[in-house]
Amino acid sequence: MLTEREIVATLEMVKSEHLDVRTVTLGLSLLDCAGEELAAVRRRIAERIQRTAGRLVSVCDRVAQKYGIPVVNKRIAVSPIAVVAAAFAPEELVEIARTLDAAARAVHVDFIGGFSALVEKGMARGDRALIAAIPEALAVTERVCASVNVASTRTGINMDAVLRMGEAVKAAAERTRDRDGIACTKLCVFANIPEDIPFMAGAYLGVGEADAVINVGVSGPGVVRKAIDRALAENPALDLGGISEIIKRTAYKVTRVGELIGREVAEALGIPFGVVDLSLAPTPQVGDSVGEIFQSLGLHGIGVPGSTAALALLNDAVKKGGAFASSRVGGLSGAFIPVSEDLNIAEAARRGILGIEKLEALTSVCSVGLDMVALPGDTPAETISAILADEMAIGVINQKAAAARLIPVPGKRAGERAVFGGLLGEATIIPVNCGTAENRFVRRGGLIPAPIHSLRN
Amino acid sequence: MKKAILSILGRDRPGIVAAVARGLLDLDCNIENVSMAMLQTEFAGIFLVGMPEGVTVGEIEETLTARLDPLGLQVVVKPCTPPGLEEPAVRSEPFVITSRGPDRKGLVAHIAEVIARHGVNITRLQAVFKGGSHPADNLMIFEVEVPEAVDAGTLRRELHAAAERLGLEITLQHSYIFETLHRI
Repeated sequence: MLTEREIVATLEMVKSEHLDVRTVTLGLSLLDCAGEELAAVRRRIAERIQRTAGRLVSVCDRVAQKYGIPVVNKRIAVSPIAVVAAAFAPEELVEIARTLDAAARAVHVDFIGGFSALVEKGMARGDRALIAAIPEALAVTERVCASVNVASTRTGINMDAVLRMGEAVKAAAERTRDRDGIACTKLCVFANIPEDIPFMAGAYLGVGEADAVINVGVSGPGVVRKAIDRALAENPALDLGGISEIIKRTAYKVTRVGELIGREVAEALGIPFGVVDLSLAPTPQVGDSVGEIFQSLGLHGIGVPGSTAALALLNDAVKKGGAFASSRVGGLSGAFIPVSEDLNIAEAARRGILGIEKLEALTSVCSVGLDMVALPGDTPAETISAILADEMAIGVINQKAAAARLIPVPGKRAGERAVFGGLLGEATIIPVNCGTAENRFVRRGGLIPAPIHSLRN
Repeated sequence: MKKAILSILGRDRPGIVAAVARGLLDLDCNIENVSMAMLQTEFAGIFLVGMPEGVTVGEIEETLTARLDPLGLQVVVKPCTPPGLEEPAVRSEPFVITSRGPDRKGLVAHIAEVIARHGVNITRLQAVFKGGSHPADNLMIFEVEVPEAVDAGTLRRELHAAAERLGLEITLQHSYIFETLHRI
């Protein structure tokens, strides 16, 4: 027998706190679409996506309606294209990106991830071609997302790849300079990339995965923030241990909802269920912000002293609650701090509370990294590479996923606004300390060796 | 064993359940299920009892009325449908219909009629009307069983149409979502 309180609380969570499922992402293997004839590969890819993902959106909508829980985004993540299309040249890979884009449009998903390469130890021919194709591929498509894993705790940091990615980021920005470098918003550079991320832009289907799998991203930060606010209203003396408990309980709830929806979608599509990604992913809406949680915890804003500790508390409590709720937890599973996609974080950057150095510090305790950070357009490629290298080092040494989505906004300087629109939001461009100085360190190339696994201090 | 269903209604006071239970025990009846509710100051109780050979529905009503009438309580007793005569079970799924909005006469009737028109059975209804226009003060929760043959989309559309005419917000959700969210 349900209680009035359970029912009313659920309605409030949906109506006022943005309780939803942030994404249902169909992971789809394209490995057997590989070949040497471009037209045939493109045809096989298009057919595979249409056949497997054709019902994804309608099934998600039906399940969402059944439970009264919105499924905000429906997406596809495919096998790394650098593997699927290893035989092709960069311009041919751009054509494959167009195929992915058209296929995504045909099945009504807003993003398709997997224009990806895994180069943490070395680059093969297909990897080099894919990295070379990324700027054009992202400029001529709308829905394709790219990711390149350049580092891992087991292998170290491939600095040759890091250097190339700095150049790719710059080139992608230039090719979309009329839209503030929007191509870069679809490009993630990773260390320790998980194989089952449902969130963009880092989603791809790992080569160790099945033919198809349904992965789910849980609800956003609004529910957590409201739970903290309610608890503090009832007991203003609640300490941080108590707040951690509140976050855990809330994470438990949103994870259970995510798994329920994901399992039902998977069953209806006849596809195995994969994982729930516990990440709190904000959107540029009031009440759906990770930054607002910092204020609820008692900080003036994200970026002030105490922010790293607050984020560590938040991230850990989310993981504990989610891990209790589901034995199928994966992906990135933590809190995202994408600057332009979070109204509150964007505002902290605008006011100068949050700079790139503090953002980098925050990434050592959160699930991803320097995400959706707008930089001055004159930031050189080697400086971009150096920032990437710093972020990769945080992931490699801390044995965690780390990523960077940097946008050097063409023609704009620090303090100006970059506008990407929609879920991608807008952000004030933040300065880079000594951003234009020569950086011979990153040009040396080679492999920064894998870290020692003892003497952990 | 034959069974009877009893309803007891009246102003609430201490001792009602004790009086009913003692009366039934004195007739050697076995209480199998009880559901009771308090609505503001009023008591409502439903008892399903097994009757021994030789005891009739009339005797139960007579005995209980004699004991409960002085307490200001009304008693109705009727025999239960014997096993085997029930309608065949219909495969169904549990849903919850919730409405919130300004109070006015006829809310329950209008929504319940839509539910009935689709052959959907209401298994439990909680409704609180404190009056006024604040949505949270006026709440109806229908727990229902939606037969598999019923088109949930049509039911949802008709509920929304009725709710719109009444100025209500309405939701239709599978009940499992509430258990998933709030229970371990």
